[in-house]
Amino acid sequence: MTAAHGRSTEQLKASIPSLRAKDYKSDVKPVWCPGCGHFGVLAALTKTLAYLELPPEQVAVVSGIGCSSRLPAYLAVHGFHGVHGRALPLATGLKAARPELTVIAAGGDGDGFSIGGNHFLHACRRNQDLTYIVMDNEVYGMTKGQASPTTQPDWCRSKLTPHGTGMRRFQPAAIALAAGASFIARGFAGDPNGLTRLLAAAIEHPGFAFVQVLSPCRTFRPEQQEWKQLVHACELGPAHDAARAAELIQRDDGLGLGLLFEQKIPVYAAGVAADAADTLTAAERLAAIEAEHCR
Amino acid sequence: MSGSPMSGTPRSGAPTSGTRPDPGDSPPLTVAVTGAGGSGAVTAGLILLEAVAAAGLFGLLRRSAGPQIRGGESAALLRFGPAPVHCAGDRCDLLAALDWANHERFAEEIPLDADSLVLTDPAAGTPPAVVAAGDAALREIGFADSARERAGGRPNMVAVGAAGALAGLPLDALLDGAARTLAGKGEAVVAAARACIRAGFDLADPAERLRKPASAPAEIPQRWHINGNEAAGLGALRAGVRFVAAYPITPASEMLEWLAPRLERLGGTLLQAEDELASVNMIIGSAFGGVPALTATSGPGLSLMLEGIGLAVASETPIVVVDVMRGGPSTGIPTKSEQSDLNAALYGLHGDAPHLVLAALDIGDCAHTVAWATRLAWQLQTAAIVLSDQSLGQSRMVGEPAPVAEEPLAALQHPTAAGDAPFRRYAVTADGISPMSVPGEPGLAYTADGLEHDPTGAPSSRAADHADQLDKRRHKLLAHDYGPHWAEITEPADPDAVALTLLTFGACRGAVLEAAARLRAGGHAVRTVALRLLAPLRRRALMHALGDTRVLVVEQSHGAQLFHYLHAEQALPAHARSLARAGPLPLRPGEIVDAAAALIDAHRGGP
Amino acid sequence: MSPPAADSIIESVAELVAHALELEYASQAHYEQLADSMAVHHNPEVASLFQRLAALSGEHAAEVAARAADMTLPRIPPWAFKWECPDAPEGADCLDPDVSYRMTTAEAVAVALHNERRGRAYYLHVAASATDAEARTLAAAMATEEAEHVALLEAMLVETGAPQPAEPEDLDPPHMPA
Repeated sequence: MTAAHGRSTEQLKASIPSLRAKDYKSDVKPVWCPGCGHFGVLAALTKTLAYLELPPEQVAVVSGIGCSSRLPAYLAVHGFHGVHGRALPLATGLKAARPELTVIAAGGDGDGFSIGGNHFLHACRRNQDLTYIVMDNEVYGMTKGQASPTTQPDWCRSKLTPHGTGMRRFQPAAIALAAGASFIARGFAGDPNGLTRLLAAAIEHPGFAFVQVLSPCRTFRPEQQEWKQLVHACELGPAHDAARAAELIQRDDGLGLGLLFEQKIPVYAAGVAADAADTLTAAERLAAIEAEHCR
Repeated sequence: MSGSPMSGTPRSGAPTSGTRPDPGDSPPLTVAVTGAGGSGAVTAGLILLEAVAAAGLFGLLRRSAGPQIRGGESAALLRFGPAPVHCAGDRCDLLAALDWANHERFAEEIPLDADSLVLTDPAAGTPPAVVAAGDAALREIGFADSARERAGGRPNMVAVGAAGALAGLPLDALLDGAARTLAGKGEAVVAAARACIRAGFDLADPAERLRKPASAPAEIPQRWHINGNEAAGLGALRAGVRFVAAYPITPASEMLEWLAPRLERLGGTLLQAEDELASVNMIIGSAFGGVPALTATSGPGLSLMLEGIGLAVASETPIVVVDVMRGGPSTGIPTKSEQSDLNAALYGLHGDAPHLVLAALDIGDCAHTVAWATRLAWQLQTAAIVLSDQSLGQSRMVGEPAPVAEEPLAALQHPTAAGDAPFRRYAVTADGISPMSVPGEPGLAYTADGLEHDPTGAPSSRAADHADQLDKRRHKLLAHDYGPHWAEITEPADPDAVALTLLTFGACRGAVLEAAARLRAGGHAVRTVALRLLAPLRRRALMHALGDTRVLVVEQSHGAQLFHYLHAEQALPAHARSLARAGPLPLRPGEIVDAAAALIDAHRGGP
Repeated sequence: MSPPAADSIIESVAELVAHALELEYASQAHYEQLADSMAVHHNPEVASLFQRLAALSGEHAAEVAARAADMTLPRIPPWAFKWECPDAPEGADCLDPDVSYRMTTAEAVAVALHNERRGRAYYLHVAASATDAEARTLAAAMATEEAEHVALLEAMLVETGAPQPAEPEDLDPPHMPA
């Protein structure tokens, strides 16, 4: 890790931390099933925000639709629970308008990789300074258990696809890498502390940071309880070479956890700041634009 | 708003065969320049428009182009006169054909008759049958030969000189127009163009002039040189829009291209999105952040945005969507105008989703309507769809500037202090407008939601919450005082004698005004009502404006969408009639005069 | 996964207090989350049990915080605490297979007991391994307090009887093929 490790234990002395995880939690009670992986993500995210000492009013979490997309309401930060698949455009617009805010988009695998798949590709390309957390449980939970893009092709527990989807699985990390994402990590909801490390690094990463979180669905994919035993460390190491990352990601079984890729590249900034030497007031600038059309 | 009713004698139906109109007449004149791609027909049109401005006149330049990106045939259709011009005329007075490539494509758009004069270059082939067999007078002028005699000469510049002379434009104005239009191309190009214009001017037979030569007035009032897309962008900037996200689409792209550098100059941002689903959600994100935001699109894009617009309505996030309408459905006719997105704008959202629908009435009004829509969206925390169309967006005018509206953008209604209780972002209030915070304000965080919610924003499927929020979102729109801008109404000299009201919306207002002027000149007391605010419909005000007159609803759609909407809202008398015609050809004043006259004749003696 | 806590040795009182504070806050958050979750899923009995446990952890946290009032605590990133489990010992073990929306009070007590035993075990580990004598003493005292919780829960377990097996099936299962 690089970014989050910038704050070492020695550097940061304080008495009792002024902001605690609970300061980022709202009073709204989650609708998630007891035992759902998303609780781990909620806990990790609130701990991370507290650790980074981000004032709650300077943070916005936006989402689409699905079980995991309920996240913003459970947080005491500014939130937007939008329509299905459009968390990233919401986040992009908010960040472009208010670059000083910490903007986090969150959602599930269906929201992000199926209906919102196009936005995922272009958000990776754009490299705007956003964090995107996908809680991947390989199933549509809110609509009661249909196959998602990351579901195994032969999973036939859904009435909608009784013979399985027959489609190859969407490879989030590999696709993010191919689309140009500058930060790619994989965490596990059952490892909240490890997840905080990745989330802290993602939030501090200047650019688009994609964190895939394996987040088991207790109800529709009970077999995912096994992930606890199957997850393993998978770190690229300090080189951060795209070709090596591609190889690492391809070789991995999809349950490898860690920072898979990180690259420091220019962060997207739509528009260019006005010329500092230009001392015109806003009204004068507008008048000059009007004058272009007046004769 | 701009645009006093057109005055002058009706041309339609006037006895004209065999005689040239008196060159002293002041009705607008239509001059078309056509040619294959690269021939410079459009540049010729732009120079003529500049010359019109230099002569102190008003003008409207429409463009017609084939689908080719390069090398396609194109036509510049200029209409000008001493009063503002807001629509295509019934006929073409003068056609300068640089060549005849694919002229069939334009034939319907350039109606020629016995009074029309056609300039044709023998070096560029013979006129097609549709022209040769018609009544228009043909005059051969060697544009190409004349150009060849001058270094760097171009046939289109010779045509500018000849057409300008015949149209009564002063030579100085034409030369000035060339200098302005070609300024970026260097002195040599300007000099060559001016030489060709002089040559063309001299080639025109003074006896054939359609107008007496005008002389430029000493002082010309300030005029706007602008197209509707640029005006819409300017209106957005005036109202404080500082973020635009959009996906390119004909005929809206020019608005975005105009806005991109100018937003930057104002410290704003334009972001090219991956699709329209993204662009509408991006502007919702910006508005949630407190930065006024807009997107522009056309029919297919509007369809993709509808879900997002519904989110803006439900989450009470102010957004503005400008729809520059084109022929539909589906990909339809991207380069031609139509008003057939009205239904989609009014009814496209699922659920009960009250929102604002406005329509710009002319090119300059694009600025006013977009600015007004932005202010309304923020005052009422909802989505505003502004309907423009290709005929406004891509037509360039020399006209009266749209005044800057007085009202500043409504300040957000901040609660005075953060309480202990969760912030009640969606509190039910007397006027239906809830307090709204933006990120960065401590203690006022909430989660905006497209799910139905309670006053704090927490999702709720309770009947009472649904009813409260539905009522609130409807009430805030209905209870608002929209003032006089909801429509533009014009009256005849004796308003008490009105027998017929011409009721329209959007860009058709131009042709309706001209038709009304002709009808009035013919002794008919006609009122016009052009709706700028379509939803929520100011039904009472509209019914008051209609009184007990006959009503003809004029619009450019195949399905008479406005007519059906107004009937559904019970805003029309049972005897109202519809004049609805699809694009791609513009609705012309003569058609409206004919339909109105027939209606008046059929009911002479009272409704 | 978190880097293995190769270095799990507490070296000062301040470091121990920082860990204790995190442990108790995490414990409180965990029980509150379970209580909320049970309330949402219409299991009021278990919800109120977890609410009580949350309050208890809250009291503990307050005691630790009071002890820390005049100390300077090291600021430890969430991933760098010296635990030997993925989360704080009494933290949200979100994938606990024993947590279910239809869990009985006895099962809930069993889950809590597991947590509190883990907490006690942690303090005992520190009491035995810390390099600082004062820290060892303090950890032993904290282990004693945790032992009181454990005893309380063990008594409750007797009270509620042996863990009952959950009802064999959900009578209104979500839309799933058999």
